[in-house]
Amino acid sequence: MKNKKLLVSKIDWGTVIDHIPSWQADKVLKLLDINKIKSQKDISLIILYNCPSKKYNKKDIIKLYHHYLSKEEADLICLLFPTITINYVKDSNPVKYIPNIPKRIIGKIKCPQINCITNALNEPITSSFYVLQHLKLLQCEYCDSLLEFEKLSEYVFY
Amino acid sequence: MKNPFKNRSIISAKDFSREELEFLFGVADDIKEDPSKYRNELKGKKVALVFLEPSTRTFSSFFTAAMNAGCDVISFQDSSVTSIAKGETLFDTLKMIEGYGIDCIVLRHYYMGSAKFADEIVDVPIINAGSGSQEHPTQAMLDLYTILKKKNKIDGLKIGFLGDLRFGRTCPSLSYILSNYNIEIFYVAPQNLQIRKEVEIYLDNKGIKYKKTSDIREVIKELDVLYVTRIQKERFPDLTEYEKVKSFYSVDLNLLSLAKKDLGVMHPLPRVDELSSEVDKTPYAWYFEQAKNGLYIREALLNLILDQNEK
Repeated sequence: MKNKKLLVSKIDWGTVIDHIPSWQADKVLKLLDINKIKSQKDISLIILYNCPSKKYNKKDIIKLYHHYLSKEEADLICLLFPTITINYVKDSNPVKYIPNIPKRIIGKIKCPQINCITNALNEPITSSFYVLQHLKLLQCEYCDSLLEFEKLSEYVFY
Repeated sequence: MKNPFKNRSIISAKDFSREELEFLFGVADDIKEDPSKYRNELKGKKVALVFLEPSTRTFSSFFTAAMNAGCDVISFQDSSVTSIAKGETLFDTLKMIEGYGIDCIVLRHYYMGSAKFADEIVDVPIINAGSGSQEHPTQAMLDLYTILKKKNKIDGLKIGFLGDLRFGRTCPSLSYILSNYNIEIFYVAPQNLQIRKEVEIYLDNKGIKYKKTSDIREVIKELDVLYVTRIQKERFPDLTEYEKVKSFYSVDLNLLSLAKKDLGVMHPLPRVDELSSEVDKTPYAWYFEQAKNGLYIREALLNLILDQNEK
């Protein structure tokens, strides 16, 4: 990057997920509703692994051309790694999103406890977690089990 | 104090304050002193005992408690003979039972979180009689009652938990309920069976002092109460792990010779080989009285939840 040439072109409108820890972009991808993204023809998705970073030495970046993440998705992604920053780009101008750490997460994450009632077959129940931000943990409202923020992407479902 | 249990579900031991528990214990004392005082007090009320996991003490004490109170009782004790075996959901089972005009449902279920879910499904009070390896709040109530009766206090006591603290449901519930008091807890278990992180977080938030160790001999001298639990075979996905730890600790007279003379040994029962029968006839043995207290506490709970007098 000595010549400061950009690896990919700037985005005119869309979402940039920046400062993802190096080689961890796949975990972020799993938190995106990828089927929804794929269903929209104009969207391009670019993943940059292990790019130079002034702040962190190395980082990953995800660029979503012509797609704005929902605020709910953005908040969930910011829980995964505290270094992540999200910019919404409009008319080539980036606006940094200030994440709103939710108190509860309902329906997005599967409980890691296999014996939790929320994992029972055919029961009409939706998973629900409290966010214990200071401990970087989610706690299942039903079975009390804990889930580390960093493991969120292993338990996401759409 | 106004009855704080009327029409209330018993889901988690976290939900009850010291004052509320002592209100319950007052009624349990009354029943213990004069069982006839509350006999048939709940005549005309219907209680369903839905036990979809094996149980002896909890089922029989709830059954006897409900009968003593004059309730009509319907019960399922084995999921293999109910429609659950045909794939019926807990939701459908409970909706069906509620439709029979039941006033209270006592539920034991193998899924963690089942009691909370049940409470969301039906309008009648749910009593959690064991939700997988998560919690067993009425056991914690009777355990606390037993300690109070034997020691005349809870504050200042040092309480040890020994055995399977990870998969057992009684230790989390008793820990939660004890956190209403100024106590110190010692968790004694092999590392892979130590108390779950969520219990530690709860105790940290409540400012309760606790210590984790794997050596009972290191702490036995300090304890006022030793709560022994069975290593539960059915909680182990891998049976070789069970074989490795099942005799990890056993409580016998040799170990108790190191303890305070007035140490109380408790056990939610059934026991296998973790608690020697040679302890049974010593003053250390509190566990049969503990089991008996289950009846008074459960009868008191039913009377308070289904209270017909207080408007």
